[in-house]
Amino acid sequence: MPEYHMCSNCVMDNSDARISFDKRGVCDHCNDFYTNVKPNWHTGERGKEQLQAIVAKIKKDGEGRDFDCLLGMSGGVDSSYMLHLAVKEFGLRPLVFHVDGGWNSELAVNNIQVMIDKLGLDLFTEVINWEEMRDFQLAFFKSGVPHLDIPQDHAFIATLYNFADKYKIKYILNGGNISTECVRNPMEWLYYGTDMAQIRDIINQFGTVKMDTYPFSPIFRHKFYLRYLKGVQVVKPLNYRPYIKSDALKLLADTYGWKPYPQKHFESRFTKFYEGYWLPERFGFDTRRVQYSSLILTGQMTREEALELLKKPAFDPATIDDEFNYIATKLGITSGELRGYFNMPKKFYWDYKNQESLFKAGAKALKMLGVERSIKR
Amino acid sequence: MLRSRVTPCLLVHKRGLVKTTAFKDPKYVGDPINAVKIFNEKEVDELIVLDIDASVQGREPDFELIKNLAVECRMPFCYGGGVKTVEQAKRIINLGAEKVALSSAAVQNIEIVGDIGKAVGVQSVVVVLDVKKKGLLGSYEVFIHNGKKATGLKLKEFITTLNSMGVGEIVINAIDRDGKMEGFDFHLIDMVREMTDVPMTVMGGAGNLDHIRQVIQRYKIIGVAAGSLFVFKGKYRAVLINYPNKLEKQALLQ
Amino acid sequence: MVTIINYGSGNISAICNIYDRLRIPYKIANNEDDVEGAEKIILPGVGAFDETISRLDSSGFRSILDHEVLNNKVPVVGICVGMQILAERSEEGDLPGLGWIKGEVRRINPSSLKFKPKVPHLGWNSVSVSKANKLFQGIDAEQGFYFLHSYYFHCHNSEDVLATTTYGQTFASAVSNKNVFGVQFHPEKSHHNGVTLLQNFATF
Repeated sequence: MPEYHMCSNCVMDNSDARISFDKRGVCDHCNDFYTNVKPNWHTGERGKEQLQAIVAKIKKDGEGRDFDCLLGMSGGVDSSYMLHLAVKEFGLRPLVFHVDGGWNSELAVNNIQVMIDKLGLDLFTEVINWEEMRDFQLAFFKSGVPHLDIPQDHAFIATLYNFADKYKIKYILNGGNISTECVRNPMEWLYYGTDMAQIRDIINQFGTVKMDTYPFSPIFRHKFYLRYLKGVQVVKPLNYRPYIKSDALKLLADTYGWKPYPQKHFESRFTKFYEGYWLPERFGFDTRRVQYSSLILTGQMTREEALELLKKPAFDPATIDDEFNYIATKLGITSGELRGYFNMPKKFYWDYKNQESLFKAGAKALKMLGVERSIKR
Repeated sequence: MLRSRVTPCLLVHKRGLVKTTAFKDPKYVGDPINAVKIFNEKEVDELIVLDIDASVQGREPDFELIKNLAVECRMPFCYGGGVKTVEQAKRIINLGAEKVALSSAAVQNIEIVGDIGKAVGVQSVVVVLDVKKKGLLGSYEVFIHNGKKATGLKLKEFITTLNSMGVGEIVINAIDRDGKMEGFDFHLIDMVREMTDVPMTVMGGAGNLDHIRQVIQRYKIIGVAAGSLFVFKGKYRAVLINYPNKLEKQALLQ
Repeated sequence: MVTIINYGSGNISAICNIYDRLRIPYKIANNEDDVEGAEKIILPGVGAFDETISRLDSSGFRSILDHEVLNNKVPVVGICVGMQILAERSEEGDLPGLGWIKGEVRRINPSSLKFKPKVPHLGWNSVSVSKANKLFQGIDAEQGFYFLHSYYFHCHNSEDVLATTTYGQTFASAVSNKNVFGVQFHPEKSHHNGVTLLQNFATF
């Protein structure tokens, strides 16, 4: 049993099995940020110019068409704030869509609605067939792996690229940002959502329903075909300007009546349960460590504040029983069965077929080309 | 003062939620349990859930689903679809629903309305009438099995019988207006309001909150149910559960 | 612990769900033995007056309830018809009620109502609290509760009126006398207000 180690700078610890620390006890996430990410992160004048150039290109590309860019809305703060910027500041005309995987919280639905209404936009939705989604998610529970969010994530990515393809939109606005996400979830916890070998293996072994309508999209399609052959680009506007989460929350609340979530990603009831209870309690992976560490590195939270928050469980003890029962009911199993999956031996992505080597090779190539900067490991 | 009720009405088809247009072309809307949970969190006045397959397929109500939906409702919940016997009705009420809706069962054997009323209480029995205009003289005929089977029953006769038998509520559903979001059929509603003193809920045609406001203004105390309006958003019919917030509700009830 | 009387009348599962989510311990009394030693009692009820009081008698609960409520002063809340049977008698039927609160149940007078459907009083209506009490603490009075009834409780003593509601005429939507409470509306189906009221009852 390895000794417990937490980074002296952020709050990542060795629940990330591959973490390493330097002589000062600072982890590789922090060092990667300081060495590779921060120097190339321009949020001042330079970032402003870069962003203006991109916005101009998007506008030009969209001339004479209904939409000039694409934006997926989860109801979360990043995509909501980005929508606000896109329309109100940049004057873009995004095709806005939402993927309904069956787990929307009322907060998410409300937040999407208030923004759509106030901005006078038209929304597209992709409703994933619940019987298929349910079985897909159950298959992942049965496999024993941590990355239970793949069915939701994959649907989002596939839908994104389907819209890009169908409406011939070249620019995808992505709310991913360094400011609150510079530290990435270790792959052991949250594996690639587009590894079709993994998905296929798990479905073959544990799925029971034929996936007739679920949108699958292999990585080849979106990372290579659409991106490099069709010229579809992903733009992350939040990286070109200062993005302070608390300011964004305040603006959204004041302008739209947007209501904040208790924790990141809680727009989905499933993700709330998954990140708040399942990952920490079954695997000892607390994604708050990743989120708070990012905020620490970008000066939006102190290590002391993070440590204080981490003292409390990631789930709400008063409601967890109800949530547990709701998850079981909705998945069509008993609470006992769900508890069974909770207690089964732990598996990881390497226990099933996977294309990890392919992803690694691709990531290396992209890094060499200067396209992607930080490590995902 | 008593307020009119604004009620989402959800249709279940093959265990999923759907929305139809003129009772045809069901469009998949998602999982019923999560939708009901969201409506509950939005604090809707009441909720109606109708299984549109059960009678057509000669199947029993899905009791498991009813239980799972009732548990999410902190407001009155009315369930309909395939209810044919007193036992089924009692079971549905025991699972936590407040009201049981009858449609084809009432048409095929109107006595059942009285029998179920005796067993679970008249106030818990709702009869749903799907109606279509018949001919040019403005009369309406009752249809069953998702608007496919004409019953030959004229609305007036049927309601007169229901009045004497005793029923908790009558839901009038205008088939022609279903899913079109173009407004309610006031001629129909006027007629039915005249024919009965029993509580009424009207359905079919709500396209925006103003349509609802008009109904409430006209009839003062009435239930207004909508499907498409509370489930779709915008010209691309994006699926987004919605319901008037507190302020919007107040405006509807002015 | 709250004891919910199961005598075949009223939506018990909804009340249970609420207490489950609030993590408030409760038990369902299926026979008179289950009532002994009760700390708080909920008496649900839907349907007609005579039928409800008959059911209560024939299920064997009557004497233990009288004992616990009148002698041991156990707090009890009657819901809907469960409130109406607290009275001495009802215009709806012939049988005597529990008589725990003096008064009689009368039919809502349709002549004071302008629009159909008139009776029953069906839907959401606001309440006006008449005297200080713990049951209605934190309630949004304007939002009110969900009602479904055709008869109302007329209190013999006006001090027993806990809250009123207006529907044509103004009548008691809640009553109380010492440890006996009654609510005409359905707290188990009144969203946040209802949950709060049920929570208040369990915890005071």
